[in-house]
Amino acid sequence: MQRRSVLLLGLWLALIFGGVQARGSETVWSGLVIANNAPKPEPVSSELTYLEETLKDWFGYNQYKVIGQSQKVLVTGSEDWLAQSKYFSLHIDSKEGNDKTGYRVKLKLFQESNLLLEWEAKLSKGRPIIVKGPQVGDGQLLLLLVVQ
Amino acid sequence: MKTFEEKWTAWIDGQLTGHDLAEFEASLPDLAAAEAEKREAQTLGAFLKEHLPCRAMGNEEFFSHQLREKIASDTAVPTSQSADGGRVWWPIGRLVWVGATALALFSAVTFFVVREKPATDQSQYLSQILNARVDPVVSPNATITMFESKEDKVTVLWTEGLRSLPSEYASK
Repeated sequence: MQRRSVLLLGLWLALIFGGVQARGSETVWSGLVIANNAPKPEPVSSELTYLEETLKDWFGYNQYKVIGQSQKVLVTGSEDWLAQSKYFSLHIDSKEGNDKTGYRVKLKLFQESNLLLEWEAKLSKGRPIIVKGPQVGDGQLLLLLVVQ
Repeated sequence: MKTFEEKWTAWIDGQLTGHDLAEFEASLPDLAAAEAEKREAQTLGAFLKEHLPCRAMGNEEFFSHQLREKIASDTAVPTSQSADGGRVWWPIGRLVWVGATALALFSAVTFFVVREKPATDQSQYLSQILNARVDPVVSPNATITMFESKEDKVTVLWTEGLRSLPSEYASK
């Protein structure tokens, strides 16, 4: 009888805390993307599949290649992380003040050690932010952020 | 007080004796005819006994059992005890366990339903750019524009005039 009580209690606790964990943690995908026109464009990576048409509509290029990316699971909502390529790095700092409308983040784009651009945003789930960066060769650097 | 028919039947069966017998026979209007009728009835009775014997019951045990069950169920008082002495209602302990198990199953189903929400779950709010700036020393002519596209469900920060970089900066 006592063993069954312990088992049942354990099951409930696992369900309750598992549910809290499942709801409380979300993943932010951030990517550095080079958009350009290619004679034989490569297919987009899986992270960009659902955004491909939107990117083409906005920027008009036929190829979108991820040159740097990161996936961060937000647990406390107050974390910082980095997505980087060989020459660019995107520093993301999740700040206090998150609520049901989204995560408040502060972002900085560096080209090596030079700060090119900085901005503050409120990220909502499933609503991407796309940033048009500098011209790179015959293409364009784009920065993408989305809470998955 | 017996009726005439009862006394007549008893007289034919030979069960009237003494004073009753004398009184009944005295009341008969024609004793000889009654005696003749009595003999005929007795002859008929003997004939029927001889030619129509009682059929032996082949399943009398089963019949008796069914009869006893029926009598028992008809006379039973509704209680918390079944006919064989076992308890009809579950004990409190078992009810508590059944309730707890049902709740656990409900929690488990709810948990998995909540977990398996479709991946397309989206906020009703678009992401917002709160503020943005470029380094005026590195890109003095740069401009910034913000767009929120409800149709595409994206927020775009559009910059113009950032310093261009050579193609090797596109490497991973």
